[in-house]
Amino acid sequence: MARPTYGIVQAMQSLRLYSPSSYRLAAPALRRQARGYATETGNTTGDVQSSSDLPPTDLPSTEPPATELSSTQPPSAAPPLAEAPPSEIPPAVKAAPEINFDRFNAQPARIVPASPSYFSGSPRFIDNVLKLESLQAKYASLPTVGAGEAPRMAWFKLAQFRDYVGEPVPMKKYKSLLKILQRLNRIQPEMVPGEVRSELNNFLRPGNPYAAQNVPRTVDENGRARAKGKRKESTAVVQLVEGEGEIMVNGKSLVEMFQRVHDRESALWALRSTQRMDKYNAWITVKGGGVTGQAEAITLAIARALLLHEPGLKPVLRKAGVITVDARRVERKKPGHVKARKMPTWVKR
Amino acid sequence: MAQAPRCRGVERQARQKFARTILNTPSVQVCDSTASMIVRKFGLRQSRQLLALTRQTPISRRFLSTEFETPVANPATEVQTPPKETIVPSENPLHEVVQASRTQKTAEAEAWGRWVGQRRKFNRIGSEVEEAYDPEMVIRSPPRPSDITLELLLASGTHLGHSTSRWNPQNSRYIFGIREGVHIISLDATAAYLRRAAKVVEEVAARGGIILFAGTRKGQKRAVVRAAELAKGYHIFERWIPGALTNGQQILGHCETMVVNAVDEKLEEFKRDLADRPSVKPDLVVCLNPLENVVMLHECGLNNVPTIGIIDTDADPTRVTYPIPANDDSLRATDLIVGILGRAGQAGQKRRLEAAQEGKTTYKPITAEQLRLDPFTGVLPGSEQKKQF
Repeated sequence: MARPTYGIVQAMQSLRLYSPSSYRLAAPALRRQARGYATETGNTTGDVQSSSDLPPTDLPSTEPPATELSSTQPPSAAPPLAEAPPSEIPPAVKAAPEINFDRFNAQPARIVPASPSYFSGSPRFIDNVLKLESLQAKYASLPTVGAGEAPRMAWFKLAQFRDYVGEPVPMKKYKSLLKILQRLNRIQPEMVPGEVRSELNNFLRPGNPYAAQNVPRTVDENGRARAKGKRKESTAVVQLVEGEGEIMVNGKSLVEMFQRVHDRESALWALRSTQRMDKYNAWITVKGGGVTGQAEAITLAIARALLLHEPGLKPVLRKAGVITVDARRVERKKPGHVKARKMPTWVKR
Repeated sequence: MAQAPRCRGVERQARQKFARTILNTPSVQVCDSTASMIVRKFGLRQSRQLLALTRQTPISRRFLSTEFETPVANPATEVQTPPKETIVPSENPLHEVVQASRTQKTAEAEAWGRWVGQRRKFNRIGSEVEEAYDPEMVIRSPPRPSDITLELLLASGTHLGHSTSRWNPQNSRYIFGIREGVHIISLDATAAYLRRAAKVVEEVAARGGIILFAGTRKGQKRAVVRAAELAKGYHIFERWIPGALTNGQQILGHCETMVVNAVDEKLEEFKRDLADRPSVKPDLVVCLNPLENVVMLHECGLNNVPTIGIIDTDADPTRVTYPIPANDDSLRATDLIVGILGRAGQAGQKRRLEAAQEGKTTYKPITAEQLRLDPFTGVLPGSEQKKQF
């Protein structure tokens, strides 16, 4: 019978293990190993009796099952191993684990739920809650800090938490879990036990949104101070450099931009009140809103930019009322009202 | 006893001598801060001790100490209890400094440490109250089925039924009498039925059954979880999802199951065989409040799952397979009953695992072949699989 040139046969030949009888002995074991059931690899000791207690679906061992072997053992994986001399086998490949001869412990006995809260329908969530509650009870006596002093933690958002546990957790239940997390987080920071810390870290969303610290703005290397200001619907961005008092707003001069003297006055009030009109040049971009809003947005932006150049001016500017943000916005119109608050006039009939 | 003062004396002398040599020799120069700290610390400690040697124990310590040291000079006690040394003799003077530099404790941590120490100290003072009811202990270490006594049941209030007008006449055989318009459940019946239920739980656990403890009333959570933990069972303390048994694939389909061997070790290689399996059904359900869990009991009846339930005088005893006539409105009573059942389950699990250690199973285990078969058709799934064999 012509032997097919498949990997295992070659490998055995190269190792001087191959003979038709040894192949017959080893083939069922190899096939079983290929299926990967530990219970059946339990007696791969190569005894001939092993083929008798196999299920009848297995081929009889008298016929060398070359074609079947090819279906279970992909030829693409085996030939390089067989053709290469042993010295060329990459060292990263680990040997197969030892055969488990203790069949009793490798045999399946029962199918059981993986979690004791299986029947609740959301076992992973409930397991998490129970674990956190046990931690909370265990470390209840540790000193705590106030809610404001505790380290700020970015817990999972509800959607992220649902992804994490893979269960449709309602908002209310997640909030109760968050309460436990927050209580654990309030433990005196240097006394937090390791298990609490690691457990809390499981509930943090990836990346730390609170890690980025606010960098105080300064004048850049070209001597520009950049600042923003808002008023009503307008937003102004000012780039302030030391100069001779030239102002450009959206590429136009101040006079072109603001017809009213009052607007021009108020736009430059920060410089005027500190007598810095001829000391700085300003390049201003302003958009949105109307004329007054734009002018007063520029006021705030210039004042902020000026503070970057001369922080000592803060009390003066504060007194001049140019670094106080006017947070008033147009109130929304309500249904049933004519405007935000105005009611329709009363009509008798 | 007689040796102790002598030892201490010798040691004290040695320490004093050491201190003298350290402090007087000019060779010890203050070369760096650590050395100076050690010397300063050492000197401090020694001087404090020297001061302490010259006078009696300070009065304040007498108040703080746990020993009965009466300030009145009593020759008998003086002989028996010599004053204790304040400083641990084995302490290395270096050790203290090193420790202090290693653990930079904050004020809060120190205060907490002090508080823990004080608590440990003062908790030993005073009389010990025995035979008192501690609600925690019923949950932490519940009694065993062999500990069931009528006194225990009475003390736990299991005998209190409902107002006579609310009764279910099917319970008449469990009722002892009427007191102030309230039915009193016979404790004999409670004890007998509780013992039977404990036996049932133990035998199911010993045969590898899945036991579900369900107590969905407020406050029953911890007892239920604890009982499930003891009996290696499963728990429900929130709402029973209707259809968890009758429509299991939809409701519990996403919940993870696993294949274990006889000694309860997870077998990872069978994971893929669990893909299209029906959801797991319990083999026994213990229900603490059958009145609120009518749906669950109904589903158990449909699925032929035996049930154990606490049947108060207003409940229908035919709803459950094994009724336990008792008060289901008192947490103390339900905690006791579920604790006893949990203990029974624990005994059963112990028996099962002991048998498994000897290589025996007390139940018919599922085989690898069965696992591979399609659970619905009973044949090997997929035609490709068939070709392979």
